[in-house]
Amino acid sequence: MEALGINIPGLVAQIVNFLLLFFLLSRFAFKPILNMLDQRAQRIKESLEAADRVRQEAAQSQVNIQSQLDAARREGQAIIEQAARAAEQLREEVREAARREAEAIVARAKADFDLEREKAIEELRRQFADITILAAEKVINESLDRARHQRLISEVLEQSRLN
Amino acid sequence: MANLSGKQLAGLLVALLVAGLFVRGPLPEILVPAEAIASVAGFTLTNTILATWVTMLALLLAFRAATSDMQLIPQGLQNLLETAVDGLHGFVASVAGERYAHHFFPMVATIFLFVITNAWLSLLPGFGTIGLIHHADHGGVTLTQAGPLALIVSGAQKVEPNAHLPEGTPVGVLVPLLRGANTDLNTTLALALIAMTFVELWGIRANGFFGYGSKFVNLGRVFRGEIAFGLIDVFVGILEAISEIARVVSFTFRLFGNMFAGEVLLAVIVFLIPWALVLVFYGLELFVGFVQALVFAGLTLVFATMAVAGHGEGHESGAEHH
Repeated sequence: MEALGINIPGLVAQIVNFLLLFFLLSRFAFKPILNMLDQRAQRIKESLEAADRVRQEAAQSQVNIQSQLDAARREGQAIIEQAARAAEQLREEVREAARREAEAIVARAKADFDLEREKAIEELRRQFADITILAAEKVINESLDRARHQRLISEVLEQSRLN
Repeated sequence: MANLSGKQLAGLLVALLVAGLFVRGPLPEILVPAEAIASVAGFTLTNTILATWVTMLALLLAFRAATSDMQLIPQGLQNLLETAVDGLHGFVASVAGERYAHHFFPMVATIFLFVITNAWLSLLPGFGTIGLIHHADHGGVTLTQAGPLALIVSGAQKVEPNAHLPEGTPVGVLVPLLRGANTDLNTTLALALIAMTFVELWGIRANGFFGYGSKFVNLGRVFRGEIAFGLIDVFVGILEAISEIARVVSFTFRLFGNMFAGEVLLAVIVFLIPWALVLVFYGLELFVGFVQALVFAGLTLVFATMAVAGHGEGHESGAEHH
């Protein structure tokens, strides 16, 4: 043992040295470093999770925006269709009103015309009767009174019209 | 050095290497026991204990510098030591599993760092080469006086104890101030004892005192009357106890042997061949220091893992014979 240099004081000294180093390193070196490593691993994990979450949220909002766009487009389409329908309806109404007015005008014109014709025929008939009476007066020289003549002619005319 | 350009520096290195082809070291003095530097109140301070303190100081200062202002984004020394600690922790966890990793890690890591720092520091200039000259009557080597310093140069002659020399020739023995702590059996024995003590303590903690003790003294089947198998158990227990002691011995001498051999190899090589070529062997010793640190720490870890796993499974194979 002595030849190899093993001796109790030296052995004890090295044991004490090593245990001291062991204590100091575990307490003041390994612990903070391992804590730091844990902390960093934790941070990285959180960051990755946060990144994932953000990516998911982005995808989600993309979908949301797309659906909103779709909805807006559909709505716009609906509004346009409605407007077109309203315009069509309006045109229809206007056309209808115009037609009705035209018909009314025509009907009124026709009524006026019928009235005028009626009046003209009446007038004509009266004049014709007068002319006929005048003619008959001239022919028979007042053999009959005027009122009788008038009635006779009217009867004749009435008969001829009925025929 | 600071205002040398890269080209000049390279030229200087080449010049040094070329000069190194012609310069060799002096014949070394090889001693197994650590040399005493001083004696304080009955305690002998050896150069290996001094080197141990240097190692401790280096480790503690490095870790202090790395951990005094820790950043979440590591840089420089913090990064380096974190990588080392993380690597060691991963190693421990891979062998022992997460459950025991935090129990074993501080001891395994301290062993690794202590052994490798001892080994690598002892490769620095100054280790083994700067020291006190003992003017011994019983021989030594011839010295070259240079002012207050005594040098042992490459032409130094070995002087036998009763040799007759011209009057006034200085003769002495170099006692280096620093010598790699791993090259002292006290250091390696201390490491081996501490490592095995921790292994036994972990075993007791995991299996209970009697649970773990039954690995060595297993009388269960003897009491149950199965004498034949019972005797085998008793014998296995004795073998286990012997193997436990053998581990201490093999731990001690493996590390000491490798490191001391490395030291002797370098000293002899420096004497035998020009020092420019010795660099190769320094590289080799760097590797040996790493391997021995890994082996010591790794075996401690394996023994600890086997101790906590309970007996009956896994008797150590040839793993400890390196």
